[in-house]
Amino acid sequence: MRRVLLPLAVLLAAVAFAQEPGTRVPSVELAPVGNVQVKAGGSAAVQLDFRVGSEFHINSNKPHSELLIPTVLKLSPTNPVAVAGVKYPDGQDMSFPFAPDEKLSVYSGDFTIAAVIKAPANAPSGNFPVTGTLRFQACDRSACYPPRSIPVNFNVSVVGR
Amino acid sequence: MALLVAILAMLATGKYLVRPRQHGAVTLVGDVRGVSAPDFALTSLDGRIVKLSDYRGKAILLNFWATWCSPCKVEMPWFVDLQKKYGGDGLVVLGIAMDDTETDKIAKFASEMGVNYPVLLGTDKVSEQYGNVEYLPTSFYIDREGKIVGKGTGLLGRAEIEENVQKALASHVVGINKADTSTPASAETTKTAVQ
Repeated sequence: MRRVLLPLAVLLAAVAFAQEPGTRVPSVELAPVGNVQVKAGGSAAVQLDFRVGSEFHINSNKPHSELLIPTVLKLSPTNPVAVAGVKYPDGQDMSFPFAPDEKLSVYSGDFTIAAVIKAPANAPSGNFPVTGTLRFQACDRSACYPPRSIPVNFNVSVVGR
Repeated sequence: MALLVAILAMLATGKYLVRPRQHGAVTLVGDVRGVSAPDFALTSLDGRIVKLSDYRGKAILLNFWATWCSPCKVEMPWFVDLQKKYGGDGLVVLGIAMDDTETDKIAKFASEMGVNYPVLLGTDKVSEQYGNVEYLPTSFYIDREGKIVGKGTGLLGRAEIEENVQKALASHVVGINKADTSTPASAETTKTAVQ
């Protein structure tokens, strides 16, 4: 009897929670970032690969409406390392069932943000962590979630010239 | 075994309605039909303090929305029409803006959308009271006795919204006064509501 009831309870629980809209959490994940090497006095590019959970999309960095919340990467490097620039990909112009006549600029699936890291000529050799966040606002085909942030962390190694 | 049966029964019937919270308040989870809508006091766009209980005796469409929520924009003209159509019958649409932005921006947006009903500034507390509203739009349909008769999460069709409004309007309270407000909703009202 127990062998029957336990799986049934698990199944019913899964069904009960699956039926409640809004229990899904939109996910955006950062693929592991390898160690970034930069020469003192030089710069290096780092590719940050993100994946948006299936069935969700997030606004691009340049959404078509000022009311929409853009995806923004904020990085805080450890001195003396600095961020020389961040390049966002273009969004995909997509329509959704809730506004079939409107094109929204979004990221879905995989997208990559490129950052350029630089080190001054007098930077000592060593490891310098870069911490930051990616802020985004996700929607699915019928509703939207409040803005969230995920951590973006990687390590920069400064090597001699 | 008895515990397992009880858990199964709760899951099957959705009767896990009200979860006590640490600070003594309650929040709505699961099937909320028939539950008393939690009262709140929120600031309106014009600076008034508005309580849900101010509207006892009215049918309420309580809509959680935000300016950044594109599906919410689709519903708003429908709410404007429904307020015009059913306002005389006792419907009050209340919008709760869950934006974390300046009031002026929300007011400008509401004005551009032609909103003809009160818009209140949402708080974490009211979100918590109504089951941690995160998925927008989310609407609660509240009858004249203050009981929730329906809930809609995500963008619904206009016909479905209007059907919920009609259910909220269906309960008639004769000579309502403060002593009458604890009158339970009829079983029919709560049974016919939709999720």
